Amino acid sequence: MAPVLLLWLAVCLSGAWAVDRGNFKTCDQSAFCKRQRALKPAESPYRALLETMELTNTKLTLQLINDNNKVRLLLELYRLQGNMTRVKINELKPLKPRYEVPDVLIREPPTEPLSLLSQDENGVVLSLGAESQRVIVSARPFRLDIMEGREVVMSLNSRGLLAFEHLRMRKDTFSYKVTSTVASVWDNIKRVFTSQTEPEVEKNEEADPANQAETAKDEDKAVDGMWEETFKSHSDSKPNGPSAVSLDFSLPGVEHVYGIPEHADDLRLKTTDNGDPYRLYNLDVFQYELYNPMALYGAVPVMLAHNTHRTTGIFWLNAAETWVDISSNTAGKTVFGKMLDYVQGSSETPQTDVRWISESGIIDVFIMLGPTPTDVFAQYASLTGTQSFPPLASLGYHQCRWNYNDQEDVRSVDAGFDEHDIPYDFIWLDIEHTDGKRYFTWDPHKFATPKEMLQGLKDKKRKMVAIVDPHIKVDSNYKIHNEIRSRDFYVKNKDGGDYEGWCWPGNAGYPDFTRADMRDWWASMFAYDQYEGTMDNLHTWNDMNEPSVFNGPEVTMHKDAMHGDWEHRDVHNIYGLYVHRATAEGLIQRSGGTERPFVLTRAFFAGSQRYGAVWTGDNAAEWDHLKISIPMCLSLGLVGISFCGADVGGFFKSPGAELLVRWYQTGAYQPFFRAHAHMDTARREPWLFGPENTALIREAVRQRYTLLPYWYQLFYQAHRTGYPVMRPLWVEYPQDPATFAVDNEFLIGKDLLVHPVTEEGARGVTAFLPGKHEVWFDVHTFQKHNGAQNLYIPVTMSSIPVFQRGGSIIPRKLRVRRSSLCMEDDPYTLYVALNVQRTAEGELYIDDGHTFNYEKKEFIHRRLSFINNSLSSVNLAPDAQFTTASWIERIVILGASKPSKVIVKTTDGQESPVEFEFDASMSVLTLRKPGMNAGEDWTVTLQ
Amino acid sequence: MFFQIIFAAVFSGGLVDARKIRGISSSYKRFYRERKSFLCIDGSKIIPFEQVNDDYCDCDDGSDEPGTSACPRGRFYCTNLGFRPHYIPSSRVNDGICDCCDASDEYNSHAHCQNTCWNLGQKERAYVEVQMRTLDEGLRLKQQLIEEGVLLWREKQAQLRELQQVAEDLQIKLEEHRRRKHEADQLKEQTLKALAAGDSGLGRWNRTVSSVFQLLDSNGDGSITVDEVQAKVSFVHDEEQILSEEEAAALLGGGQRMDLIKFQHTLWEVLTKGDNVKIKDTPSSPVGEDPHLQAADKAAEWETTNLKKVEEAYDTVNMEISDLQKKLAIDYGTDWEFLFLNSQCYKLKVYEYTYTLCPFNQVLQKNTAGTEVSLGKWGMWAGTAKNQYSQMVYENGEPCWQGGSRSTTVTLTCGTETALRSVKEPSKCQYMMDFQTPVACQPVLKQRGIHSEL
Repeated sequence: MAPVLLLWLAVCLSGAWAVDRGNFKTCDQSAFCKRQRALKPAESPYRALLETMELTNTKLTLQLINDNNKVRLLLELYRLQGNMTRVKINELKPLKPRYEVPDVLIREPPTEPLSLLSQDENGVVLSLGAESQRVIVSARPFRLDIMEGREVVMSLNSRGLLAFEHLRMRKDTFSYKVTSTVASVWDNIKRVFTSQTEPEVEKNEEADPANQAETAKDEDKAVDGMWEETFKSHSDSKPNGPSAVSLDFSLPGVEHVYGIPEHADDLRLKTTDNGDPYRLYNLDVFQYELYNPMALYGAVPVMLAHNTHRTTGIFWLNAAETWVDISSNTAGKTVFGKMLDYVQGSSETPQTDVRWISESGIIDVFIMLGPTPTDVFAQYASLTGTQSFPPLASLGYHQCRWNYNDQEDVRSVDAGFDEHDIPYDFIWLDIEHTDGKRYFTWDPHKFATPKEMLQGLKDKKRKMVAIVDPHIKVDSNYKIHNEIRSRDFYVKNKDGGDYEGWCWPGNAGYPDFTRADMRDWWASMFAYDQYEGTMDNLHTWNDMNEPSVFNGPEVTMHKDAMHGDWEHRDVHNIYGLYVHRATAEGLIQRSGGTERPFVLTRAFFAGSQRYGAVWTGDNAAEWDHLKISIPMCLSLGLVGISFCGADVGGFFKSPGAELLVRWYQTGAYQPFFRAHAHMDTARREPWLFGPENTALIREAVRQRYTLLPYWYQLFYQAHRTGYPVMRPLWVEYPQDPATFAVDNEFLIGKDLLVHPVTEEGARGVTAFLPGKHEVWFDVHTFQKHNGAQNLYIPVTMSSIPVFQRGGSIIPRKLRVRRSSLCMEDDPYTLYVALNVQRTAEGELYIDDGHTFNYEKKEFIHRRLSFINNSLSSVNLAPDAQFTTASWIERIVILGASKPSKVIVKTTDGQESPVEFEFDASMSVLTLRKPGMNAGEDWTVTLQ
Repeated sequence: MFFQIIFAAVFSGGLVDARKIRGISSSYKRFYRERKSFLCIDGSKIIPFEQVNDDYCDCDDGSDEPGTSACPRGRFYCTNLGFRPHYIPSSRVNDGICDCCDASDEYNSHAHCQNTCWNLGQKERAYVEVQMRTLDEGLRLKQQLIEEGVLLWREKQAQLRELQQVAEDLQIKLEEHRRRKHEADQLKEQTLKALAAGDSGLGRWNRTVSSVFQLLDSNGDGSITVDEVQAKVSFVHDEEQILSEEEAAALLGGGQRMDLIKFQHTLWEVLTKGDNVKIKDTPSSPVGEDPHLQAADKAAEWETTNLKKVEEAYDTVNMEISDLQKKLAIDYGTDWEFLFLNSQCYKLKVYEYTYTLCPFNQVLQKNTAGTEVSLGKWGMWAGTAKNQYSQMVYENGEPCWQGGSRSTTVTLTCGTETALRSVKEPSKCQYMMDFQTPVACQPVLKQRGIHSEL
């Protein structure tokens, strides 16, 4: 929802509708980025000390030494189960511990033994498990090469950009002088009492902090911003001095890299040679600009690399401010140049080089070796977990606005949906519902009887979401504030007092969500007896959790604020995840652990998928913002966060009817489907744009509801496997380079292709139908099209170009009702789209839709397959138990021929004929009311 | 009246042959009489009769499934005995939510629906009764207000005519004054010209007897006294020397005072000769020095002041006229029934704000701190084509910080009192008011009410 009040005024006055770039740092304005980026590819000063190598069952350890400053690093190399390699680099003896990000990995990743294949003075070769994969550790200079067969898959430090700013004492301070004096005295004493004289080299390499500082003197002097940094009026005291880490990765044979959200940019990442690197630093960006690498609300430091025969991933586990540089040896080449290379058999293989730079912490990187896209998804999921399984209702339509003013407003909007026969599941309340922006409270006048309101919604089988932000009003009459203060749960400023900043309520404190005890307490606040006026159909929205601090540097928290022993600098990007997590846990706990929570967050990090949904923040009612919603959600899906959506209609500004309708049509086919609007925009409930537009919006929302069984099944799959729900085409067609950069259309699962209309006044769109051997059926007309072609589709305002893949079976519920819960027992219609082999396959997943009982095997999961003219339903989970009232109402077979007879056979062995209709013009066979229960075994045979 | 209808409904209900066909009204039963096959009402298809209400949609128009949720475009008829019958979309059949008060829509669901039609009917009837009473009372009051409105209208018209008359009178006066001023100005000009043309000695005394007399007569009582002479007259040879009382008295012919006639024959001549005494302090400029000119000047000034006064009065009256005309130009309804609202204001406190609606004038919002913000000035009637007087719009209030300005839409509803009932701000800076007044009561509404409510 929420932009920055202070900036607001300035922007409004200037009348400009774009981000004020001056509020956010460029790489040059971020001292460590500037410092690190100044390092150019060269021979690395790092050398592997092979004599320090230790190989145990689980890992290899090895010391690295920087020949310039003699600081030693410790390299740990792990072979992880599931074809992954973990590389961890820390200082051998840091002056004080460096931050290692906790709570992101779902467990310590299980390892596999590494074995030594060969070793000489130049390096070692290790085998990576059973396959032909090896890792070569070169000693001088240090580099790592991961090989498969004779092919290099990925190289680390091949460009010599490994950099590790060791912790050091500040030399111009009193404390340094004392320490260094004491240290040299100690050295002298040691020398006196040591009989054996140490070799000079050894002594120099001693990782003594004072010595390090001494040796690093020359490095220190040169660069500003190591011990202090000022941006605009904010200064960062940097008591720990420089602490950045950096490493380069080379990807031979790769021309396409993806991921590292969140950026308002294309799906395929661009090279950054001529501009700033992609930035990962969770920020509340007011009116963000499109197509640039600026940081946004969330950060997932995961990049995927893809070519026709391999997909790999790099997961850089670091929560500090991070910049990612991408360069490519083919980026500058024209198509003609590339062709020439091909014809001439150019020796140079395409290569993408990537470099990660973080401000603090350690290097902890997971190399996911694929080789398929789904392998990479599974690998990443095994590290950070999968998408939480959302309650079915949350896949319905969400109606939001800043703000629904009072209970009467809520009641009348709710009634509006019934009057206009548009389904919805959730109505949302933004910050104005609280008593003076005190979260967990209700405005005593406007929302005097919240339970009455919630009961009213419950009677209609609908739900509500209310916002709870992490900034807490400093007010001694506010229970939440008093409790946090008395428990000393607030983040501290650099001087040890409670950190305070400006946000919606005015002066606010920020609870330290990195503390487990704080999170437990926060979670307990969602109990029905604590959060007064709430009921089980109230869910939660966490906004402003970057965290947003209106008067802070870059509208966020000062980096020298303290979270216990750690600086905010270390934990910044994970703060939002912790807020989200504590809230989701609160909702689970209030139900006694039985109900699945629904929590939406704006800030996120690797692992946020485990806690709920994410939206793309404060977008605008512009056609380009509609377009960008596709790559933004696709990028999130690639890194595990499937439950993604953009504000339908655009948050800022008022959409015209055409844009609004197109946005509904697009949003209906994106995972999280919520309309939202800024307070200063005109009302835009679906029925306010005339009956024609109301009908168009109604139809879009209804299409969403008919497909809920498919969405739900895909989310179950995402929850089980980590596969994204909304997928780029290349994920399913990894060998077709034509798909690699497509981001104006997408797949839902692997069976629905959606090409939304995102151009104003469009008369037609050109959709790319992938797959040489595929056929695609227009879901509205049942018209069949061949794959591997660009298809021009004339469109009208009612068109939403969607295609079902031949070879798939998609279950729908066609009786669209007031809400998803009203449709619970409704029968299914199966859409069987035949491929050229005249087969098709699909799944059907059913459970209670809202509890964790599916974990106790209370669900139905069936495989539907059509082969040899017979469609059957087979149990995929024989040990699971669940009953449903839903039955099979209709089977529509696309691409069928006319049978003479259709027979259904059920478990009890009974056979009965089924009536059918055949439309010869479209080859559509419709089976009338076969009537089987959706949870049973059955076979339908066409004769 | 109600009971008759209900009785009729019960009675006819008993005769419905197609009672087994769920979800249809009696007027539709004719479509479902045939028991062998069913023709979709839109004529698109014939299906076996068993497929009517068999929970599968065969007809595009949904007519084969009036009693189930199978058809996307279907509708279900709630008979609702004791209350109003009505249609609901088929999607609300067996969705677990009670929609028909007779519970007939949830015949196969987990919902435990009670038949609430009788209660609802009673409530509705009570409500309608109250509404009707309100309407009757409202219409009665409206009639009064119409009558008052007509009177008020006439009064205002009379006021206008009166003002127009005053304006006309003032116009004549104005012309008269303009003429007089013109004359005075001319006189002044002539005097000036003469003064400039003539010899200074001559011109110096080219004053009228009376003007010199007036000059000497400081207190303007029509006679010259000793001290007045002492003040104004001096020796020619020595201006500084003040005349003694005796000398002054001598100039007055030995007396204490002298009137104009006596002056003309005594002192005037002495002064005119100018051998011994002269008038003191004669300013250097001929205007000041010349009594004729001074008088002409004074007269011109006098006329200017007078003209200004008349002009002001004329402008004021004209302003009043145009105000009144503007007010009268507003559409106060066919019978001027809304006229009485003019010059009235109505207040309502909502949370921390107090709203003031002054019909045909403006809308204001005042917060607890006392800051007043304009939510719009009278714009126009903006009701429906059928009744344009059902809504008012006030526009161009205080600007909003995201552009545009505040505006208010006032919806008028029938009530026995005139009062502001509610204020909402559904979108920022766009206010909605519910304003109740007897003059919004519509007799048509009453008739329609009777038909639909029963």
